[in-house]
Amino acid sequence: MRQIAYLVREAVTNIRINRTTTLIAVATTAFTLACFGVFLLLYLNLKGMARSLQDDIKAIVYLNDGLTAQGVSDLQSRIKADQEVASLSYVSKEQALADFRTQFPSESHLLQGLGENPLPASFVVTLSPKFRSSEAVRRWAERLRAVPGVAHVQYSREWIENLATVLGYIELAAVAVGTILSVASVTIIASTIRLTLYARRDEIEIMRLIGATGSFIKIPYLLEGAALGALGGALALMLLKSGFEFFKLQLGAPGRFLGIESGFGFFPARISLLMVLAGLLLGSAGSFVSLIEFKGAKP
Amino acid sequence: MIQLFHVSKYYDRRPALSNINLQIEKGEFVLLVGPSGAGKTTLLKLLFCAEHPDDGQILVQNRNVARLRPSDVPYLRRTMGIVFQDFRLLPKKNVFENVALPLMVQGASAFETRRKVTEALKAVGIEHRKESRPALLSAGEQQRVCIARAIVNGPIILLADEPTGNMDPDLAGEIMELFKMIHARGTTVMVATHNRQVVEQVGRRVVMLNEGKLVSDKGAGQ
Repeated sequence: MRQIAYLVREAVTNIRINRTTTLIAVATTAFTLACFGVFLLLYLNLKGMARSLQDDIKAIVYLNDGLTAQGVSDLQSRIKADQEVASLSYVSKEQALADFRTQFPSESHLLQGLGENPLPASFVVTLSPKFRSSEAVRRWAERLRAVPGVAHVQYSREWIENLATVLGYIELAAVAVGTILSVASVTIIASTIRLTLYARRDEIEIMRLIGATGSFIKIPYLLEGAALGALGGALALMLLKSGFEFFKLQLGAPGRFLGIESGFGFFPARISLLMVLAGLLLGSAGSFVSLIEFKGAKP
Repeated sequence: MIQLFHVSKYYDRRPALSNINLQIEKGEFVLLVGPSGAGKTTLLKLLFCAEHPDDGQILVQNRNVARLRPSDVPYLRRTMGIVFQDFRLLPKKNVFENVALPLMVQGASAFETRRKVTEALKAVGIEHRKESRPALLSAGEQQRVCIARAIVNGPIILLADEPTGNMDPDLAGEIMELFKMIHARGTTVMVATHNRQVVEQVGRRVVMLNEGKLVSDKGAGQ
């Protein structure tokens, strides 16, 4: 217990003595993790948004004109029986016209000259979550098109798939940027620890000569690196949170109007903790690298 | 206790020690003498594993130090006390903390540490300066602290490299009296020196080195 207290005390002393290099190392780690955090935040929010959009995916089955009430009812039963269909609602020709007039009041005069209602009756189908992939929806739509009474099946799947592709790119960019900056962070923390080791080489030599084991000598430096990394992680979180709040503030009214703002969220506690942990691991790795290179820590 | 068989050590192909054969029994007091560059420091370094021989074998407490695994070296050093000419004290720690270090690395309890450190400081007559930083001490006081650190753990062997270098004769005499006191407790003591006065004062076994060769060994068995 006394040994542990001594090792922790030594690590704290190291940090206190080398204030400038400590600050640089903490700032670098914070910058690294903040950059990575921006990508992660973007990725998680877009992913959440994509998921909520996917929940809203609907297909519209347009019906041939002149279909009898019995025909509509039979077709409804037929479509409902498909395992791809979660629910459906019928929109009559009259309802479609009324909806058009409500949604586009300034364009309603376009329909007046036609005399007869040109809008078809339709079923608005909510697809079952298990069958929302592009391929599943395409197969189902093709099958349905062959059913008598069905004029056309419309679904807007592609852009959701495009969003998934964009998300994939963001994920890739986050990994690439994270990797590059992690290497930079490890290198800078390693340099910080190396400077400390160099400044205290006489002390390390004395410790070796009085019978200190390699781990007894190394542990304070590993703790120092871990502490620097964890501090960097915490600082990165603070930076990200401030940036996030600022962004939300800037988004303001337009964001609320578009319904974007409510969908945005900061990291959950678990990911915030992982961020600090990532800093801690980066810092430990930096220390480890410098200790491997430092011959003075060997007997 | 210490045995060297045909030991040689080279630095850049230049021999620092050549074919040294030496045997030191338990409880002996040996003075290692010779001019600067004779190989005294190298020989001591070989004994506490700061260097490894290029040829020959070295047994310390029946362990072949040339074949010792790096992880075992700290444990061998814990059975030894080492005193340096330049004291090698940690400047940011006070006298008590410096002397307590060997106990700290071994995980001794706070109570045991306090008892042993106080005992060692009393033995070398520096207890009154236990709160001071090394920079505030005189050379003689710093050497006393260094000796206290070397004996705090009750070592079997005490190795000292020019412990009286740069000291006036009176101070050197006081330091050597401390070594005699430690030896009287049963510790094997080996002191490297080029100080003639020290040799005369101690009057024990004298091993002389010159240009890396053992040129004389007088008073063995005393």
